[in-house]
Amino acid sequence: MSKLTFKFILLTVILVLLQAVGLNHICLFGIAVGFIYIYVILHLPIDLSQNWALTIGFLLGLVIDTFSDTQGVCALSCTILAAVRGKVLKLYLPREEELTDPCPSFKSIGAPIFLKYTVTMSLIYCTTIFIVDAFSFFSPVILLLKILSSTLLTWLLLIAVDTIISHRDEKRL
Amino acid sequence: MRNLINFLFRYSAWILFIVYTVASCVLLFRNNPYQRHVFLTSANSVTSGIYSASSAVTSYFNLKGINEDLQRRNADLELEILNLKRTLSAYREKEYADSVPVDSSLQRYSFITAHVINNSISRSHNYITLNKGALDGLRPEMGVVDQNGVVGIVNIVGAHSARVISLLNPHLRLSCKVKGHNHVGSLVWQGADYTSAILEELPRHAEFSNGDTIVTSGYSTVFPEGVPVGVVESGMKDHDENFYALKVKLFTDFSTLSTVRVIKDSMTDEIKSIENSEVKPAKKP
Repeated sequence: MSKLTFKFILLTVILVLLQAVGLNHICLFGIAVGFIYIYVILHLPIDLSQNWALTIGFLLGLVIDTFSDTQGVCALSCTILAAVRGKVLKLYLPREEELTDPCPSFKSIGAPIFLKYTVTMSLIYCTTIFIVDAFSFFSPVILLLKILSSTLLTWLLLIAVDTIISHRDEKRL
Repeated sequence: MRNLINFLFRYSAWILFIVYTVASCVLLFRNNPYQRHVFLTSANSVTSGIYSASSAVTSYFNLKGINEDLQRRNADLELEILNLKRTLSAYREKEYADSVPVDSSLQRYSFITAHVINNSISRSHNYITLNKGALDGLRPEMGVVDQNGVVGIVNIVGAHSARVISLLNPHLRLSCKVKGHNHVGSLVWQGADYTSAILEELPRHAEFSNGDTIVTSGYSTVFPEGVPVGVVESGMKDHDENFYALKVKLFTDFSTLSTVRVIKDSMTDEIKSIENSEVKPAKKP
């Protein structure tokens, strides 16, 4: 098992536990929910095949579903997020640039691109998950508020996680 | 056949995406919650194990709040009992003499819940500090009780804190009686043991037996009548042969005080003014 695989498994376990034990119980102002675990999908290596990305996304969503008792909501959203990941990256990333680290982060793709990438992904994820969740109960204003506030919170969380992980990697070197 | 394999291989990402999406939707739209496998819910052993481990830690954080809620609930119930008792006695009076009007202010007592932030039991004059003050409605000479019995009397009030003269302080003399009888004595702490005090100046003809409950007399505005104080441990002769003195085991555990209630009597001012006007001599022309 390569070092990268091990790192991802550890990262997934930590983020899923954080989400299940902490963030799932926090709902800021009654509307904003943070989804920290999508960092796993965002951080997947750029050259990883789409099939693997989809599989990892689906399984991650399933695990989160199991923890928060939302049947299929997270699985569907994570699958969609994993599907659009490559497209979003291609949109922002300059084509002929050699990356030192295949995993997108502050360091490897630069702050402006990373910030744009994370905010787009957060927005896509929050939009999907709240629309899927709102099938039964629909109120456009609250839905919009929820999506925007949760996107902001998720974005901040993603940046925080990325900062912590880059810092650790630096130390190890 | 080769074309088919080629096709599958080329569009494998799309096919996988569709498969996963359909799987999610099947989970999402399967309406009957009872048919779900336990493995995919938070009731499976892994998730429930993690949740119970985390709640074993986090449940301690809420204990203070839960305790305060219980105290408040308890205060409400006690208040209700007091009010009911007053109503009952009011009706009894009415039955006794129909001309006596029912007390208009049945809501005479209310409680303010406060936390003990400092407490001593080892000194000769003990005081307690509470985390509530004048801004929360505390005034000097309010009675303080906890769930077991009398704690003390508020003595100095700051904006956000108050000092209480503990029952474990010889400065405090509490007017008490043996439950069920009307002979009044005065309870005072002797400075030795934080679990007991002495009920002095009880008339010699007062009846009591060991194990009787001592309650407040209600002869002041500080405590309502009947707040439990302790039980009679043994009787002993006073210095003056005309009075009894009883050793009383206190109900309140002063070593573990945490949340207490301050009794607010809405009739304090009225009673005080009446008492003061009686004391003053009439002006002569």
